[in-house]
Parts: sequence; structure tokens; C-alpha cells
Amino acid sequence: MANVIIEIKNYSWRYLNTTSPALTNINLTVEEGKFIGIIGPNGSGKTTLAYSLDGLIPGQYNGIKEGEVLVYGKEVEQYARGELQRSVGVVFSDPESQFTAMTVEDELVFGMENLGMSVPEIRERLEWVTELTDLKPLLMKPPYEISGGQKQRVALAAVLAMTPKVMILDEPTSMLDPISRKRIFEVLEKLKSEGSNTIMVIEHSLENLIPLADRMILLSGGELVLEDETRRFFQKMPLLLEKGVHPPGSMQFFYELTENGFISNLLPLGIDEAVVELEELVGRKSGYGDPR
Amino acid sequence: MNKTMLGYVPTESPIYEVHPFVKLFFLLIVSLYPMFIAAPEWNALLMVIIFILMWFSRVDLRTMRIYIPMFISMGSIIFISYVLFGGNHPEYVLLARVFVINIYWERIRDAIVVYFRILPMIVTMVFFLTTSRERDVIVAMRSIKVPFVVTYVFAMALRSAGMVLEDFHIVREAEQARGFDTIGKSLAYKIRKYVMYMIPLFALSLRRSEEFTNALVARGYAFTGEVSRVKRADYLLTHYSFKPHDLVLTVLVGVSFVTLLFFKYGLGYFNLDTSIFINWLFRIIS
Repeated sequence: MANVIIEIKNYSWRYLNTTSPALTNINLTVEEGKFIGIIGPNGSGKTTLAYSLDGLIPGQYNGIKEGEVLVYGKEVEQYARGELQRSVGVVFSDPESQFTAMTVEDELVFGMENLGMSVPEIRERLEWVTELTDLKPLLMKPPYEISGGQKQRVALAAVLAMTPKVMILDEPTSMLDPISRKRIFEVLEKLKSEGSNTIMVIEHSLENLIPLADRMILLSGGELVLEDETRRFFQKMPLLLEKGVHPPGSMQFFYELTENGFISNLLPLGIDEAVVELEELVGRKSGYGDPR
Repeated sequence: MNKTMLGYVPTESPIYEVHPFVKLFFLLIVSLYPMFIAAPEWNALLMVIIFILMWFSRVDLRTMRIYIPMFISMGSIIFISYVLFGGNHPEYVLLARVFVINIYWERIRDAIVVYFRILPMIVTMVFFLTTSRERDVIVAMRSIKVPFVVTYVFAMALRSAGMVLEDFHIVREAEQARGFDTIGKSLAYKIRKYVMYMIPLFALSLRRSEEFTNALVARGYAFTGEVSRVKRADYLLTHYSFKPHDLVLTVLVGVSFVTLLFFKYGLGYFNLDTSIFINWLFRIIS
């Protein structure tokens, strides 16, 4: 079994002056190097979970906590101020709200300076991260004067530059058009291929998330409803649909086929798999090996 | 074109060859000049020099037109408060009496002197803001070892000023979209209804503050504790070097200030008694 870096045990959190908890009795373990997709309807506690892992909760918010949130075996509250953030980085859903500097370059450098890196180290990482996120031409621009997609990339790059072992992205593509969304996921794909980070992505765009995710988590009403390896996760289609999750069209189409007894295979995760499976199905029905 | 705090300056402008510290030093020192100069013609000359520097820096001088209403209204306020509401002074030279108001030569002279002292200060500030970016101010402050926290709070203040303005536009547009608009209404109505803008703006500012704090914590920044004592690399400063011409300019600005003090206190220059303009004006008026 791979190294467990995050362990959440019977964790509940209720914000001050609210009647119901934002998260209830969460139990979860995250292994090092995994890509985790977190989905769920609005208000299901996804952002609260992300903040809990970065120490923003309970550090910056008042509320009642029960249970344990352990990162690298240590409770998040036990980390000294600013220490946990060296290991866990969060990209917020609204990129503009997290800008802290006057130019894109300053924005990317700010976190590295906080870590106490030397100038050559900063220069090297800056080079790497701007290459990865394609931000070189924007370095001297104010971060609030660039496009939405560019802002999201800057927000992502600013956290990436700090090279945290765990990266949590809270709806990183929520404000983006499909092309910009794709570019963000291309960056995540590159990161995943490098294999050095544990990545947790809260996202509604399942088409982009599913091909990358090793495991999926479904939150609903503050509870962890389902958590499994991605392929097995999406076999629980009735539960997903009941909880308001709408898997990609190809998956739903094959679910209908399964329900009507046409196929009994596992549901395809993407278009490519769906095409292969459909070819097999059509070939079987028509009596030909190759339908083309 | 590069965006500055008050406009745009061409990328090829020679002002970019000047270290931000020199620009800040120029602003701080040259803004003091008018305090020691009473004679309006010398302050007018200072303004001309600053305009020449702006032209040399390729600042679009047409942008100065937006300040003309401000210059006029400021001049009017100074004139009215000094000349019309300057009080009774039997010891002064009475030029005229309008109804119950005595018009004295000394009050007119003082209004002109004050006005010509403020104008070059404003023009110097405009020169600085039109040729500097927010980043330059931060670099200048860090170059003279101002603590990071101070420069950072200053940078945040600059940034939040822009954000509040942006939020104000959003709030106003949102309220206009729902039929609330103060355009064309009386001033009293506008003031009374201003609260309609202020409440959402205040709520937005609170939210922005929370988000900003979260962002700082998420980036591993802390104002106190062990993390705050980490030695910062100050990568920003690596882009700037203090070249020989910067040293020459700094010395020039400093020497010119000392020279000014010498001429004022040692040789009696820049006083009203020796002012060509004031003496000429007195002859005309009286």
C-alpha cells in the first residue's frame, strides 16, 4: 500500500452561527501521488473540505470541529503558522481573490519568497512554472488585467511554484470557456505525468476530470456519500444521478444500454472507450466482426 | 506602451533607464522646493522644468488637460478664502472695498504665492505617477531597506484602492440593471441614495478582506511567528540595478536642494521682496 499522507477520521465541522454542519463524519485517506477528483452539488462541503486540509479551517474561521484531520500524520492545528502551507497548496475558485501582488511575476514569486528560497532557486522554479503554464509573455502584466483563463493559470502557477506535495484545486475552471478549461487540465495532466504531487481537484467538468482521476469522491449535504477508484465509482450510476451528479453523455448512454440489457460490461469512462465498446456491440448485433 | 499609475508611457521612454529609487527621491525632494520658494516666478520655472522632464520622458502632455479643472477650482478656492474671507487688516494696503469686504493687496499676494507653491507640488506628483508603476514604488522602498511588511501593506493599499473602484462600478451597474439610477437626479437625492451603493460595497470589501487573508495564509505568509522571520530573497530587486547615472541623478537632486537652501538663506533669493512678478503686479494693481 502506498504512503498515506492525508487521514481524516470522523471529521465534522460546523461554522459559527449556522445550524447544520458543513461536513459530517468524514472518513477519508489519501495516498501519496494520487489524483483525486471531488464532486458534489453546490453547498455539499467541497470547499470546506479543501480549507480543512490546508489549515484555513479552523485557523481562519470560527466554528466547531470534531474528529481529526491529519496531514503527514499531524493534526492541521498543530502545524505552526505558515508551516502546513509549505506542504499543502490551495488554488481557490475565484483566481482574482487570491492575487496578492502587482504583476504576474511578483505573484508567482511571492509564495517562493515566503518559503525562504534563494534567488537562483526562485529563478529556476519561475522558469519551470512559466514554461509549464505558458505564462512567460504575461510576467510583467498586472494579474487583474488579464483574461479569465490567464488568471486561472496564474493562480495555479503561483501555487505550483511553491511545489507543495499536496495540491488542492477548488473549481479551477469554474469561470472558463471550454478551451481555457482544456488548457488548465493539460497543465494538470503534465503534473500528473511528473508524478511528484498528490492532486485533489474539486470540479464540475467531469469530461476533463475523469480521464485524470485515480479516485473519485462524492460529497452531498456535507457527507461523504461515495469514494472509490474512478471506474468503480461511475458504475454506481443510480446513486450518482440521485445525488444530482450528471456523468458525461457517453457514460449515461451506456448506462441506458446496460439497463435495457444490451451490454453488461463496465461503463466506459471516456469517448475513446465508448467508441471501442460501441464498435464491439454493433459488430456483435450485426454478426460482423468489424462494423466498418 | 507601459501602463503606469496615471496613464501610459512608451516602452522606449528614457525614464525606464532611471532606477525607481531616483524617481521616488526626486518626488520627495523636489516636492519640498516650493516650500522654500516664495517668489511665484521661480515656482513657475520649476513647473516648466518638470514639464520639460515629462516631455523628455515621452509622457503624453495632453493628459495634463484633465487637471485643468482641478487647477482652476483650487485656485478659485484659495483666492476666495484669502481675498474675500481674509478678514480685516488695517495694517495692510487696502485696494478696494466691495460692499462690506475689504480687498487688500497682501491677501491677493499671499493667495498667488500659496497657489504657485501648490501647483509645482502637484505637477511633481503627476510626473512621478505618470512615469512610475506600483511596482516601482515598492522597489524604491525596498531599495532603501524599508521593512517588507511596510512595503507590502503599501502595495496592498494600492491594490485595494483599484479593487474598491472596480467593485463600485460592479455595484452601480448591478443596481442600474435593476432600475436604480441616480443619473439626472438632484445632488441631494444622490447623496441620500448613496447608501444604496455603500452597503453592498462595504459587504464586498469585507468579503475581499477575508479572501485576501486566506490567500496570504495559503501562500505561507504570516505577519508574526517563526515563518515571518524567514529571510526573503527579494527577487523583485534583481531586475533593477543602481547604475552610475542613477547615482549622478541622485547627487544632482540632492545638491540642487542644498544649493536652493544656500541661495535662500545665504544669499536671500526667492523672497517676495525680490520677486519680479510680485513687484510688477503690485505696480499694476496699485
